[in-house]
Amino acid sequence: MQEQDTALSRRDFLAISGFSVAAAGLMTGCMRPPEEMVIPYLEQSPEMQPGQAFWYSTVCRACPAGCGALVKVRDGRPIKLEGNPDHPLSRGGLCAVGQASLLGLYDEMRFNNPLLHGKRVNWAELDAQISKSLDNLAASSGTVRVMSGSVNSPTEHTAIARFLSRFVDGKHIEYDPAPASAIPAAYEITHGIRILPQYRFDRAKVIVSFGADFLGTWISPVEFTAEYSARRDPEAPEEFSWHGQYETVLSPTGARADKRLALKPSEQIAALAYLARQFGEAGIPAPSLTNELRHEMDALAHRLEKHRGESLVVCGLQDLDTQQAVSAINHHLGNEEQTVLLSSPSNQRRGNDHALAGLIEEMKAGSVDALFILEANPVYDLPDSELFAGLLQQVPLTVALTERSNETTEHMQMVAALSHPLESWSDSEPVNGLAAIQQPCIRPLGNTRSAATSFTSWNHENSSDHDLVRDRWRTMIYPASANGESFDSFWTQCLQNGYAPIRDESTSYPPWHGVRSTSQSSERKGLELVLYSKTALPEGRHSSNPMLLELPDPISKISWDNYACLPEQEARRFGVHEGDYVHLKVKGRILTLPVHIQPGQAAGTVAVALGYGRDISARFRETGPRWLEDDVNTGPNGLVGVNAAPLLELRDGLIVTHRSSVTVKIAGGHTDLAKTQEYDWLDVPEKLTPPDGGHRDLLVEGTLGDYRHDPQHFVPHPHMEGDDLWPEDHPYYGHHWGLAIDLGKCTGCSACVVSCQLENNVPVVGKDEVRRNRELHWLRIDRYYRKNNSSDTTASFQPVMCQQCDNAPCETVCPVLATVHSDEGLNQQVYNRCVGTRYCANNCPYKMRRFNWFNYPRGTEKERLALNPDVTVRSRGIMEKCTFCVQRIQEGKQRAKRENRPLRDGEIKPACQQSCSAGAIVFGDMNDPNSEIARLISSGRSYKMLEELNVRPSVHYLAAVRNSDSTGKEVHHG
Amino acid sequence: MAELLQALTRPLIGGDKTPGQVTEDISGLLNNRPGPLWWAGFFLALTLLMVGVIAGVYLIRTGIGTWGLNNTVGWAFDITNFVFWIGIGHAGTLISAVLFLVRQRWRTSVNRAAEAMTIFAVICAGLFPVLHMGRPWMAYWMFPYPNFRGPLWVNFRSPLVWDFFAISTYFIISLTFWYLGMMPDLATLRDRAKNKVKRFLYSIGALGWDGSYKTWLRYETVYTLLAGLATPLVLSVHTIVSWDFATSVIPGWHTTIFPPYFVAGAIFSGMAMVLTLMLVARKTMRLEDYITTRHVDAMSKLLLATGMMVGLAYATEFLTAMYSGNEYEQFVFINRALGPFAWAYWIMVGCNVLVPQFLWFRQVRQNFLAVFVLSLLVNVGMWFERFTIIVTSLHRDYLPSNWSGYTPSLVELGLLIGSFGLFFTLFLLFIRFLPVVSMNEVKGVLHIGRGGHGGHGPGGNGHGGPESVRPTPDPTTKPEEVTA
Repeated sequence: MQEQDTALSRRDFLAISGFSVAAAGLMTGCMRPPEEMVIPYLEQSPEMQPGQAFWYSTVCRACPAGCGALVKVRDGRPIKLEGNPDHPLSRGGLCAVGQASLLGLYDEMRFNNPLLHGKRVNWAELDAQISKSLDNLAASSGTVRVMSGSVNSPTEHTAIARFLSRFVDGKHIEYDPAPASAIPAAYEITHGIRILPQYRFDRAKVIVSFGADFLGTWISPVEFTAEYSARRDPEAPEEFSWHGQYETVLSPTGARADKRLALKPSEQIAALAYLARQFGEAGIPAPSLTNELRHEMDALAHRLEKHRGESLVVCGLQDLDTQQAVSAINHHLGNEEQTVLLSSPSNQRRGNDHALAGLIEEMKAGSVDALFILEANPVYDLPDSELFAGLLQQVPLTVALTERSNETTEHMQMVAALSHPLESWSDSEPVNGLAAIQQPCIRPLGNTRSAATSFTSWNHENSSDHDLVRDRWRTMIYPASANGESFDSFWTQCLQNGYAPIRDESTSYPPWHGVRSTSQSSERKGLELVLYSKTALPEGRHSSNPMLLELPDPISKISWDNYACLPEQEARRFGVHEGDYVHLKVKGRILTLPVHIQPGQAAGTVAVALGYGRDISARFRETGPRWLEDDVNTGPNGLVGVNAAPLLELRDGLIVTHRSSVTVKIAGGHTDLAKTQEYDWLDVPEKLTPPDGGHRDLLVEGTLGDYRHDPQHFVPHPHMEGDDLWPEDHPYYGHHWGLAIDLGKCTGCSACVVSCQLENNVPVVGKDEVRRNRELHWLRIDRYYRKNNSSDTTASFQPVMCQQCDNAPCETVCPVLATVHSDEGLNQQVYNRCVGTRYCANNCPYKMRRFNWFNYPRGTEKERLALNPDVTVRSRGIMEKCTFCVQRIQEGKQRAKRENRPLRDGEIKPACQQSCSAGAIVFGDMNDPNSEIARLISSGRSYKMLEELNVRPSVHYLAAVRNSDSTGKEVHHG
Repeated sequence: MAELLQALTRPLIGGDKTPGQVTEDISGLLNNRPGPLWWAGFFLALTLLMVGVIAGVYLIRTGIGTWGLNNTVGWAFDITNFVFWIGIGHAGTLISAVLFLVRQRWRTSVNRAAEAMTIFAVICAGLFPVLHMGRPWMAYWMFPYPNFRGPLWVNFRSPLVWDFFAISTYFIISLTFWYLGMMPDLATLRDRAKNKVKRFLYSIGALGWDGSYKTWLRYETVYTLLAGLATPLVLSVHTIVSWDFATSVIPGWHTTIFPPYFVAGAIFSGMAMVLTLMLVARKTMRLEDYITTRHVDAMSKLLLATGMMVGLAYATEFLTAMYSGNEYEQFVFINRALGPFAWAYWIMVGCNVLVPQFLWFRQVRQNFLAVFVLSLLVNVGMWFERFTIIVTSLHRDYLPSNWSGYTPSLVELGLLIGSFGLFFTLFLLFIRFLPVVSMNEVKGVLHIGRGGHGGHGPGGNGHGGPESVRPTPDPTTKPEEVTA
């Protein structure tokens, strides 16, 4: 179902871009069907200025979390997605997946036309065909089902509901590939209403998470990270939250925890049951715990008890009884409506696996007459893919609404090509009380339609997605949100802001019904398996995105693969090493994967990431340079990674992500996993430890107790002796740019890495190049594992970019002056002067210079439309590196000059800072005493990496602080 | 006393040669058709060179990515080969210039070949800084040429620019010195040439040499002056090359011991290469009378001495690191000895420190086969020294997150092989077309006419033979020898 004829000629592109810019000109006022809006270029719209970027607010649709986004449109084409700083939920952050979703717009493998039995047709033909069948079904009371992932758009819901209302038996079934469906199912029992509560991490003094990676992948990580980091500021130590993480695999969330215990899923289940009983919930059967765990839980219960009403317990397990226990704990602690909002629940995960199971039963019974699958891929996502694929063949009418080919479309009769979210109107209501508009920034590049338009037209109605959204906002949002202004001005304002708060619709707070143990949790034996989501690639939908495949996992630092994570003792037991292939067997299902030995993982477990092994990833086989000794980027199956979904279990109406009785067998064979960091510790290998110590104080970390005790001497600074070899001959009279990075806030989420990559046109180089340590990212996140006595292994993250040294070692050694210092403290790289001796990179103590080993391929002409025209596309043989986004600095300075005013602090944000949902990165002028960065670098936590070298980096790190008591020592690091 | 005297007066050249025989022996080599051994060697060398050419063309077409380098290890084989070949060159200058100035007369048998080796080694070395560039077609930007691009100039603070000057100076001086020393011999060849083309070509090379007193006088003056000029280069070139590393901030590179350490290492490796070449030439070119145990013995002693210096430098580096109190510095050296590249380190120590210890024994020094094997091992060891310095310092530097490995690619191996191919091709061509032993200088150290025993031999007292010593007619014999 692939199409070849997708190349966009320059002429087409100009037509489209001119057109969409014209459209953009009127977007704020009266959006009409595009054909009536073409404006001759001679009458230039005020928003059409060549070389000038415009920003439009919209909603990120990469996952159902509904973060607010701003789209940068330059010369008529969207080139960057960034977080909307005003958005109440995401507060300016945008995750790696959201950022990278821009590439999907220009993806060559998108459907450009509707397909009928694999053949290109026009919409009229497809609509006629579908309408004919549907009319018959409406007349004959047929069964129509719409299947989708979580849809948080009320307009789309309305469109689907209207569409289904024609039929006697029409149902919309939502499911999530990364499910959280046990939570609503538990609330259905404990509170009598099926809701996913809205969690408020910013209101919690004590945060306890059992297996929920809420900073990385769980439900709405950007929102949660922003909330979480708001209470992780050691300058306000009374407000500093305490975070305990009890999980199987070391997650980014666990890495940041103040207390982390590695527990098997069965232990987590028992621990939560025990906790619930500690808080007086008798409805839960008594679990059996080890004394050690009981002791830990008693201490935890004590801590929670002290913070009634300002604590929060969350759990990522797909287990109904356990989620009931969590609901009970939060209820008994009085956290409801404090940190767990039931009156304004979330729509960010709407999956109902029970309904999904019902649908499969119906299909088995042959009672489904028409099935519409909207942007979902059940043949890939569900455990029994052959079964589902077979069932699809028996459904008389199957229609997929999707952007690109997937495992499911192969079995569908028709494909209604879906527009990219940047091409279509929609809206979103991620949590009750907040609505946001998704506005398009470019006319569809192909002959595609939005989902709402398609469903409406199959209903014999003819309205554009714009009209649908606007109508809904006029009738539903405007009355509940506006403050007396006219609808038109309300609408304009909402388009500009990107969201509208909705006044309380008097959603009642559901009463407590009590738990009803289903006692379905069976005895757990043997090795336990956890199927988790990776931060870089949370679900299979993004497997066609090369940037996300190349983005290393924050913890394992492995890109381009999934693997069987084994704790060290298990690996030793099975006699396997890193990269050895093993067979994982669960109840007759076998998966063959390479092993990754993961520190900090619970003993007796194995973990595999979902979302890999998509058929579409075969396209990346030859991504990257091809040469004499190259290697393909795909595994033995011809794909990137292996699909772990067959190991999921759809049991009792829940997609279960943890299994027991797993066996591991050596499969033979070995592969080198593409790791971007080969050594994981701040201590050098034991046998190489030098007499003066093998610990490297690069990533300083301490306790809150110590910080409170003596904030000014929190970080040891090297004692510098003697005169400076360098003359003080380059003072910075004007600006002196610097960056401060709060290591206590960084969650390793890697949004900054992707943001930087998109902003600076850094190519994807492919697995083979990554394996050779030639990843080209200008910003990397170093992850060092840490062991300490009271917790299991945690980790710390350290974003490292060019440190823009004032005494830059790279500058002195360049023979041709291709890298020179600016009078604002920037270490500049002159690409067209560089001859590529790599001397600068060798002499960089931070090794943050990147070399173009090849002329890296940058995709087709259409795919190259995503490039940022402000940044040179580098060719082979030259060095490149972080520039502090010099193009943004220039733009900001020019803007200030044009407006005849001084530059405001915080006005210029490099791409990394902009995307950071934790607010860990701050850029600014160190010469401005009132700037935020000046405040931060004067903090007792501030230090520079390798300060003793006197290279004087402009990047300052703020030592991480964990919430534990004083260590008694002067300074504790690591 | 008599024994000592005998040792001091033992002839440097065997076979009781007369000057005429010297001319006959050396220039005769160029008249004979090359033997099968030469052809075999030449084709082998040419094949290796072609491997290098193919690798080089592929490299320039495709990019530095065809090497095994990565974000952490930015130099490996390229600069290793560069430093290795530059080092090889040093022995030639040492033998021709320094030993000339300190009147080590045994040098006359080997200085021509050693100088040729210098030239060819510098050519091989010079290739790598160009090839290692990401954009080698821009290599001329290293040169501070006048241009119209405003203040665009080279960075005089960069050791690579110093390198550029050091090496080009070295090459020019070495070439001049070599050529100047060859002029009298070229004149001999010109006069003996029967083939018109050959005569024409040699006459161009001889620059109208007439062998007059005046010519000899000027020649001697210039030669001495050039020797004086070349002498500091023995120290300066490798000192500057070592600054590539010493001025950096990378532990294992940033060390003040590098200049003397590099110079000692360079002479060490160069001596080894001279020995290798001379022992082969002696055998294949029948130069047994010209390269005697005495030469080999002297060079072996130099090898031993410089080997000890290098060994001392290795030990000093460890010592400095250990008392530095700098954990990064300490780690680099522990990592060299025990880390992933320990094998390279121990090859280096074994070949450069342990192997030369055999040279304490006269029996070993006088056993040509043993010396030949030892010299080869020293060459291997010195290549690994540079590899160890470059790769083990880079691959695990300050930030553990950067730590990486390194595996050479086929293209890198091809270029290393190719550089040997180029070197041997040039050397084999040299011994076919130019006098491999300096005839005019060897004649000066002949035993003939010296002491009580001199003068027996077919040539009588230096008279007779086609090129007998006469004051004026023979342009290629130094006047001083007549008076002897």
